[in-house]
Amino acid sequence: MTEPVWWAVARSEEINNDKPLNVDIGDQPVVLWRDNVGIVRALEDRCPHRRAPLSLGCVLGNGMIQCGYHGWTYDGATGHLEDIPNLKNKQKFPKLYRAQAFAVSESCGFIRVCLAPKAQPPAPQDETLPLSGSENIALGHEHYINALFDNPALLINIRGVRFTPYLMTELSEQDGRLVLERSCQWASPHWPAPFSSDFPVTLKISTDPASGESVLLLRDDQFNPLLRAMLAPVPAARGVTQVRWRAKLESRRPGLMAKAMGLGTPLQIHSHVDGAALRELKPSASIHAAELRQEIAGRTERQDAAA
Amino acid sequence: MLDIQDTPQSPDDEDPISSDPREFAAKVNSWVPHDIVLKDAWFPLAHSFAVRKKPIRRAVYSHPFFLWREGDKAIASEFHPAEGAVAFKSDYSDATGHYPVIEKYGFVWGWFGNPANAAPEHIPSLPYLPEDGGLPEHMLGTVRFDCCAPLSLENLIDLTHADFLHADVVGDEKMDKETVEVFHDSETITMVRTCVNKSVAPIMKMFGGVRDDVQQVRQVIRIYLRSHAAIAYGRFSPGDNVQLFHPCVPETRDRTRLDYVMNTSNVKKRNPFRYIMPKASYKVSRQDSYMTSPQSPRYMRPETRKDLHSPLDEAGQKYRVLMLALAERQARGDFEYRDNVSTDCSEIIGYQKV
Repeated sequence: MTEPVWWAVARSEEINNDKPLNVDIGDQPVVLWRDNVGIVRALEDRCPHRRAPLSLGCVLGNGMIQCGYHGWTYDGATGHLEDIPNLKNKQKFPKLYRAQAFAVSESCGFIRVCLAPKAQPPAPQDETLPLSGSENIALGHEHYINALFDNPALLINIRGVRFTPYLMTELSEQDGRLVLERSCQWASPHWPAPFSSDFPVTLKISTDPASGESVLLLRDDQFNPLLRAMLAPVPAARGVTQVRWRAKLESRRPGLMAKAMGLGTPLQIHSHVDGAALRELKPSASIHAAELRQEIAGRTERQDAAA
Repeated sequence: MLDIQDTPQSPDDEDPISSDPREFAAKVNSWVPHDIVLKDAWFPLAHSFAVRKKPIRRAVYSHPFFLWREGDKAIASEFHPAEGAVAFKSDYSDATGHYPVIEKYGFVWGWFGNPANAAPEHIPSLPYLPEDGGLPEHMLGTVRFDCCAPLSLENLIDLTHADFLHADVVGDEKMDKETVEVFHDSETITMVRTCVNKSVAPIMKMFGGVRDDVQQVRQVIRIYLRSHAAIAYGRFSPGDNVQLFHPCVPETRDRTRLDYVMNTSNVKKRNPFRYIMPKASYKVSRQDSYMTSPQSPRYMRPETRKDLHSPLDEAGQKYRVLMLALAERQARGDFEYRDNVSTDCSEIIGYQKV
């Protein structure tokens, strides 16, 4: 069985115990909130009573979510209906009376949801990168990831860095992830990339083949890390891709241009994609992405079957 | 404690409210309101004051109704006078493209259906609206819902929604006791909700001069199924009675127009509630639309997943079944009115003439 996919649908700071938040995983609407002990809960954003979005309701003091339409109240862990306030007698409701619950994991500043409710959460990570943001981009999920592989400049900006069309390593599989390393130049006056012998910085992108969640590492030619980022694109409604990201500018950055990265915002995720440039973008690094994903998925299935 | 009673009024004819719970549940769960287009009905298309010499445009299920006056007489036409009758005239209008039209209760009503079946006795009974109209314009208005008309009416007939969605206007769910009675015939459904010691509606505290913490409330919703029109009559003690006409005209299958009347003639002239309460429709309708707008696309197509229900949903469930039964009958070519909608319903709704 293929591993269930965990989607980074929110940043930790976006979820509170005051107002529920609506997110999408593809066509699946999900509502998120923190219960009364701070644990993030995820249910289908649809009240099973009359299909109203639970995200339009409220979080009660006991940590449950209450639909804003008729007050049906649900436990976040199980999705079970616990109360209908207008029924004055306290009732016990059959197990069938529940909203669909999803598995939730919070780690390193991301909230991840898996649509398989009993899925095992990924191994927790320690470091929460301090810079963060969320964007909605009108571009489909697979196209977004392929654009990240083929020309990251359409999607992101790293202060003082120019991405070149040249790769140190093309897209390949490493430890079950899709990895490439792109040569970069500083934005200061430089020899044009097609005539350059060496490049001072590289951007390594390591991508989960199922979710597209990517770890970005900008390094100089001495392998000093300059910037680390996690980019989590998630397919949303209407072909939109929601991207949550976190980043950290390393404190030790040798060289003037590397130091200058700290003047202003080191990383920006574009909220709009240049359609004309995207249309003309030739597939290059991404050209084997689909095959690589299939190979990884096929190998995982064979390993699971053997086990 | 919640008590529910149901009293069908026409036992002679085949009653679509089945006594078999499984058959009833199957019908309730086959609810796709976007697919329902009922014909042979009068729709209140416009307040009388809005219809003048210059044509205005309305719609019923996307069918155009152009309204204007020639002298005092209201005209309803499929075509704008500048357009003239065209080759693709529908079967819903006469040879000149005119629809049957009636003016009553301060509305211009247009007939949507077979023109030969139009009759005045199919205009719903609205006991607290003067038949000749003439209410002051501050009691009238227009609001819209971003959803299909049957969902607006299903929303209305389950008044528990008001305790959450409109708590800041009409009060929350705190009360000692609640009783719900449901009556129906083939053309109407009536829900009577009696609340004991309900928390006072904020609008009545702020503007209605009610100082008590609790009120005794009797609320009636009566829906005339084909016309998609409801009356909402509330008796509040202490407080003034609320007399609302709530027609949900299905302009298109996913958008509803409400030309409402809140008759506050029963409220003393020096009481600001008389003037403020009709304006509550602007706030309340947006609160309703906030919920029914995302709800509506979720009812556009059949689903295998069934809605869950509670005893409080009996009126709404019966509304679904009655609407589906009417639609099925009409699909078989039977458009007959088996019950008279224009019979005075004062007694049914408990209307107290002041």
